[in-house]
Amino acid sequence: MKNFSRFTLLSLLFLYLFFGNCIVGNFSSVYAQDDWKQEYSSVCAKTQNAMILTPEELKSYIDRCDKLLALINELEGEQAATEKKVYTKRVKMCRELYQFALEYKEHK
Amino acid sequence: MAPIQKLLSAFIIALTVTVSASAADYSHYLRHIPPAENFGQVVLDNYSHKAGVLPVTFDHWLHRAKFTCRLCHIDIGFAMKAEMTEISAADNMSGYYCGACHDGKRVFDGRNIFGSCAENYTEDKGKRCARCHSSAEAEERKYDYKSFSEKLPKLPGNLIDWEKAESEGKVKLTDFLEGVSFKREPLKAQDDFTIKIRSWDVIFSHRKHTVWNGCELCHPMIFPSTKRGTTKYSMFQIMMKGEYCGVCHTSVAFSVWLCAKCHITLDE
Amino acid sequence: MKKAIFTTTLLFAIIGIAFAQNGVKKKRPLPFDFGRVVINNYSEASHIAPVVFDHWLHRAKFTCRLCHVDIGFAMKAGATDIKARDNINGYYCGTCHDGTRRVFADTLMFSSCKEEFAQKDETCDRCHSSGKNVKKKYDFREFVKGWPRERFGNGVNWEKAEERELIIPYDYIEGVSIKREKLIAQQDFKIAPKVEGMPDIIFSHEKHTLWNGCELCHPEIFTGIKKGLTKYSMLDIYEGKYCGVCHINVAFPLLDCQRCHTEKVQ
Repeated sequence: MKNFSRFTLLSLLFLYLFFGNCIVGNFSSVYAQDDWKQEYSSVCAKTQNAMILTPEELKSYIDRCDKLLALINELEGEQAATEKKVYTKRVKMCRELYQFALEYKEHK
Repeated sequence: MAPIQKLLSAFIIALTVTVSASAADYSHYLRHIPPAENFGQVVLDNYSHKAGVLPVTFDHWLHRAKFTCRLCHIDIGFAMKAEMTEISAADNMSGYYCGACHDGKRVFDGRNIFGSCAENYTEDKGKRCARCHSSAEAEERKYDYKSFSEKLPKLPGNLIDWEKAESEGKVKLTDFLEGVSFKREPLKAQDDFTIKIRSWDVIFSHRKHTVWNGCELCHPMIFPSTKRGTTKYSMFQIMMKGEYCGVCHTSVAFSVWLCAKCHITLDE
Repeated sequence: MKKAIFTTTLLFAIIGIAFAQNGVKKKRPLPFDFGRVVINNYSEASHIAPVVFDHWLHRAKFTCRLCHVDIGFAMKAGATDIKARDNINGYYCGTCHDGTRRVFADTLMFSSCKEEFAQKDETCDRCHSSGKNVKKKYDFREFVKGWPRERFGNGVNWEKAEERELIIPYDYIEGVSIKREKLIAQQDFKIAPKVEGMPDIIFSHEKHTLWNGCELCHPEIFTGIKKGLTKYSMLDIYEGKYCGVCHINVAFPLLDCQRCHTEKVQ
């Protein structure tokens, strides 16, 4: 009986952790502490070759930039004010370049 | 008006005139034309006084006879107003400004050009200092206006007629100095054009001006527009404030008081 | 009453005309002054001298792209809105100037805006030097001695200096820059001027992308997606737009017409 209870509790805990972010919303941020910075590095790494990306790729990068911008706007913590200022500009720069390249391709 | 009001008005007007005059340096232009040997003279005293030497007296006529305006004012980078360049001895010794040519090594016209400025003062060096850091009549100066300009064609007031001197081959202007000037593709020679001013038309010698000055000397700072007729200015600005044509023609080039040199129809 | 108003207006007009100055040659910055930027968003309010940033030193060591794209400095003085807190957090100047980074093997970057700095700390003076007689660590004349000369601007031919490897601008800093693929070189192209008689401009797109990346100019400065779509004139450029964003204060100045108008005269 004791074992069964412990097992149940552990299972419930496991299930909660596993699905918790969907149901409760505690883990609402898609990225962990500095993962969004990784995302920024990944998205904006393609600006050198923006002109050879396909319109679909460009659209997806623009989407990812928009999501990043929304997230950056919600940053909290000690460095939040600085990070907001810095990364908003950096991400905007790369997002607008992708937009520029997309418009170029669509009007060709 | 009550006497006190009249007095106040007179005082305010007098104050305005003097403040305006000094602000725009009108006094400079309202002076009589200086004697020919002092025409184009520039006194530079950014740091001389503080360093315990006499300020530099630069007479334009000697360099004017040997180089185009462009070479000094564009390639080397001298400003168009006295003391604006802020030349220091260190600049000269590093090969900037006067030191671009006056470095003690350069040979021009078959002669070695004396070096400008030195680290420490000695009596020997002092003679070299005095070639610039002295009054125009100082005995250390090698050239004097009278003997230099004797054989050159003159304008009224004993001023040198540079155009005539050049066309008669009496002066030959250098426009490019190795190590100082930078090779550029020549720009198309600009055409002369007429500036219509009622019966006092000016035929502006654009071609000659570009030969002497290049383009950069006047454009865009002095004449900002790229379309003829869009920059508006008056004789008041030229003669009294030293703007536009007055930048050169109230201080170094032939004086604005020689009306007929520009307003060519006046002669007819 | 009307007379009084008229007279006063006239007097003001006269004073106004007196002080207004057009059509004169304004002072050209001296070679070591060219590219100088004074930043004073918060300095004076914090009772410290405003920051004087001379471009030439960093220009010799880094590409424009590294600072203006990777780090994110704005293209206009004061527009970045840098605070001491930002520097302490390791952004903007603090990206490199953190007291621990060695961008160049031999030089330890001094720390900017450290919390422990008292007002009198001399390190502050290295940047916060406006109006002060501070002896800077690097002397311009010594720094550019023997470098290929050019007229205007800093008096240095930066391109030739790079060709001769007198300067090797860094384009990537670990932990700061994003690892990017190699840039595809853009083609140089011709721009026809509006004024008849001026030589065509050969725009060095390739060089500009090598130094600046794409984001620095597009779309903020040059919005047109197709060549020829953005219409501008020299007057726009003199006002600091388009080419004028860089070529008035930092890159070779507009005075040097033939640096751009390079097509041979027919």
